[in-house]
Amino acid sequence: MSAPVPVMTIPGEPPPAADAVRATGLTRTYGRGATAVHALAGVDVAFTRGAFTAIMGPSGSGKSTLMHCLAGLDTPTGGQVFLGDTELTRLRDDQLTKLRRERIGFVFQSFNLLPVLDARENIVLPMQLAGRRPDPAWFDAVVARLGLRDRLRHRPSELSGGQQQRVAVARALLSRPDVVFADEPTGNLDSRSGAEVLDLLRSSVRETGQTVVMVTHDPAAAAYADRVVLLADGRLAGEIDRPTADSVLSALRGLGA
Amino acid sequence: MFRVITAGLRAHAARLVASTIAIVIAVGFVVATLTIGATTRSTVLEAVGARYVSADVVVTGIQDPAGLDADVAGLPGVGAVDLATSTSVQAVVPGRSGAQFLLVDSVAEDPALRWQQLAEGALPDRPGEVAVSERVGADVGDVLTVATYDEEGREDASQATVVGVVDLGGDPSAGINGRAFVTPEQVAAWGGLGPSELRIAAADGTDPDSLVADVRAALADRDVEVRTGEEQAEQEAASVTGDAEILTTVLLVFGAVALLVAGLVIANTFAVLLAQRTRELALLRCIGATSRQVRRSVLAEAAATGLGASVLGVGAGIGLAVLASALVGTDSPVPLAGVEVPLSAVVLGLVVGTGTTLLAALAPARAATRIAPLAALRPLDPAPLRSRGGLLRLAAGLLLLVPGVLLMAGGVVGGEILFSVGGGALSFLGVVLLAQRAVPPVVAAAGRLVRSGGVTARLAGGNATRNPRRTAATATALLIGVTLTTAMVVGAASTRATAQAELTAQYPTDVVVTGNTEDGVPASLAERLAAVDGVRAAAGLQAGGVTGPDGYEGWTLGVDPAAAAGVLRSTGDLPLPAEGTAVLPWWTVEGWGVEDGGRVTLTGDDGPRTFTVALGDTDYPLLTVGDLTALDPDAVADTVWLRLDDGVDPAAVVDEVTDVAGSIVPTAAVTGLASERAALDEVLDVLLLVVTGLLGVAVLIALIGVGNTLALSVVERRQENGLLRALGLTRGQVRGLLAWEATLVAGVAAVLGVVLGAGYGLVGVASLLGDQGELVLSFPWLQVGAIVVVATVAGLLASVLPARRAARTPPVAALAA
Repeated sequence: MSAPVPVMTIPGEPPPAADAVRATGLTRTYGRGATAVHALAGVDVAFTRGAFTAIMGPSGSGKSTLMHCLAGLDTPTGGQVFLGDTELTRLRDDQLTKLRRERIGFVFQSFNLLPVLDARENIVLPMQLAGRRPDPAWFDAVVARLGLRDRLRHRPSELSGGQQQRVAVARALLSRPDVVFADEPTGNLDSRSGAEVLDLLRSSVRETGQTVVMVTHDPAAAAYADRVVLLADGRLAGEIDRPTADSVLSALRGLGA
Repeated sequence: MFRVITAGLRAHAARLVASTIAIVIAVGFVVATLTIGATTRSTVLEAVGARYVSADVVVTGIQDPAGLDADVAGLPGVGAVDLATSTSVQAVVPGRSGAQFLLVDSVAEDPALRWQQLAEGALPDRPGEVAVSERVGADVGDVLTVATYDEEGREDASQATVVGVVDLGGDPSAGINGRAFVTPEQVAAWGGLGPSELRIAAADGTDPDSLVADVRAALADRDVEVRTGEEQAEQEAASVTGDAEILTTVLLVFGAVALLVAGLVIANTFAVLLAQRTRELALLRCIGATSRQVRRSVLAEAAATGLGASVLGVGAGIGLAVLASALVGTDSPVPLAGVEVPLSAVVLGLVVGTGTTLLAALAPARAATRIAPLAALRPLDPAPLRSRGGLLRLAAGLLLLVPGVLLMAGGVVGGEILFSVGGGALSFLGVVLLAQRAVPPVVAAAGRLVRSGGVTARLAGGNATRNPRRTAATATALLIGVTLTTAMVVGAASTRATAQAELTAQYPTDVVVTGNTEDGVPASLAERLAAVDGVRAAAGLQAGGVTGPDGYEGWTLGVDPAAAAGVLRSTGDLPLPAEGTAVLPWWTVEGWGVEDGGRVTLTGDDGPRTFTVALGDTDYPLLTVGDLTALDPDAVADTVWLRLDDGVDPAAVVDEVTDVAGSIVPTAAVTGLASERAALDEVLDVLLLVVTGLLGVAVLIALIGVGNTLALSVVERRQENGLLRALGLTRGQVRGLLAWEATLVAGVAAVLGVVLGAGYGLVGVASLLGDQGELVLSFPWLQVGAIVVVATVAGLLASVLPARRAARTPPVAALAA
């Protein structure tokens, strides 16, 4: 079911540009001394531009922490994170904030939308915060693809869970960010709505070359990705190219999950 | 459970600071008001009623003094009696030219009834000796030259040696006239008027109340008033200061306002605290606490907070009163000497403070009992977007508002201040109830207005109306303070304008200088006086003898209307004559049988002439100079009217004028009405300042409430703020979001409050002063504008702390479900 991934390597381009995001020697420690918890204990990982990558691992493996650090939401204790050529770990809070709204898209598990804004306002919010105008054609294309045309004037409370999550995906895609980070995007959805959202993420990768990094604990969701990065105890524990639900499940079993 | 409460109090001590401050301020206010009220009363009583302190019984309204003291002296239980007499004289103090008007009182012969406090020297023992008040400016040993006039107007000069200087303490009238104290014989020699009152000291061991009854019985056929010294003192004090009791009552109304506002703020604070602790309380429920136990723990926490804050408030109030007393002293319209703390103030402060806190915590406590045990396991729910509006509240609000407005309308039309006060209170309660409904839509509308302010402003507009009930409560607290402040400012402005118009009509001349001689004064006197620093204009008047319709020749003044017009501040009560018009004193209506606009015939050396009558507040008939000299060619310059520059110290200019006039005409008498006007002005100023300051307290408490509400929003919207941060809202923008929200709520409350307050202020003035002659409405745009700006900016400031907290929300918070 998974078609071959067109890896776009153009001869002559400098190698770092091939990776949308990469981290080297990433550590993140909570607390100190005897009670210190090493959520990330030295992770080197890179995410290819234009690919859909899933991060998986048992509870407490550090997969969420990894994503937070990669997305500039959390500050690593050590190591470096690069978004393209930009080193996130060197940026101050305001610079990080601006980088987030200009170059990163987010889809969270829950509480994705602001209740006081309608769907349209939620979708354009990050671009408005950045003081940019969305390209109307692109806006229409995104909205059409996500099937939200009739729902733009609705408040989040008037939308179903699946619709809310599609609004969140539209928001993430609208600014054509360098990377879209999705944190358990299907965690709160029924399986049909979840499949819809995953389809949308995958098609955005296939059709527009969008880079997507998704954290999930669901092998079926991970099967939508081009590649799965496995994490255990804060360290990389393997990779699966062109995963299927079964290959992911057996790999997870191997990690003791 | 007690453990949990005390642990809770310790853990949340910092969060309770806002409630504590609100209660401390409100209770402190009430206690300070009561204390200052009691102190003012005792100070004024002491000063004005000083003469009655030693008297156990006072008899006033004496028509026929003959044998009065003998009648009383014979009664059992009477220790000493003093028939007080008084007069007035013109006195020249060595080293100062010009005569000074002195009020002269007799000194009791019996030491028990001597009330005067001596600053130095002694009280007079024999004729020829005098004790003077400090205002006279004489020292012990000075010899005063005293001029008195008998019934025919003949001058009689005598001398008196100053033997003592009397300290009149906080007597508000001490600064207006000089006072002199002499023996009763001397008062009689100086043309004493009939005795004004009989003061009686009880013999040792006699109860004043029974003595009053005895004296009343003994004098039953004499038609006199008999009171205890205390009653008489209170009567005098009331008539001198306006009414100290009313002042205290008014201030207590403000105290009640402060408490009401504090109550709203506390209710909000507890809502904040409980929302922050939803999971904690739910956990308590999970592990077996009943809802009753939860409610009790919340109420016990409120009681402890309320009591603690009330104790602090009582202390703060007494401290404030001490400070006010030290700052104000006795030399002010609200004289304060020392501090008198009534026990009732302390008790009331404690009870009211604790009670308000408990009452305010009731609703949040009830809400706390509804927390389901499962809430401990769920993430914090965002606040509901809509809460049900209370139909009951709406109905009650309208039921209070409509009759209240009607009552006020009746009060304005009928000039009945009591109607208006009642109507105002009713309708304002209605407004407070309705505000819960009316404020959120207005905030929403204002939010739409500021949408152009960018995405943060738009978000803030939405956020401000998310929890309408809370927004309404916050705004209402501020609204109350702003409304009342505005009402006071607007009311005071119109009161002042009206009072000034009335005063200038009543006292159109600032200073009157009269020659008091048959020969008249040099014509140059007016020019010389006009040259005195601080005098803006002078008008000289002629005086002569003109025979009225009753056949008697009387003193008549002639004025140059053009010159006088530049001197008089108002011609409302004293019109200026034109050629052929005579301005006559009111007594001529009966004495001469004239009427306003009628005709009167005045006879001079060359025969009678007929004039048109205009009635006015003048002591003598007033003609134009031309008409007067036509009737009496021997008319002489006699009187000079002066107008002072605005903003000068009237007392200093009047002293200077007295010196100049005295050096030219030794007998000249100077009457300065400007001082009285300035004194009244000062009273209004001080009152306005005090009241505005006090209401500012209510506004301050309300602003603490704004900060609290925002703090609650920050707690509730932690996830949301995290999401916004993740999506690219910078910390500055998060702070801006909160600032916009605060500005919206505070701004709407301020604008609504100012509109309401202006209405109440105008209604109050209209019904208070409407029946007392011309009402002059004045709207202090600048101050009212300042109220809006200050309240809004202060609301903005109140957002600073919550905004800092919100800005610290890590973006990850959005993901930590």
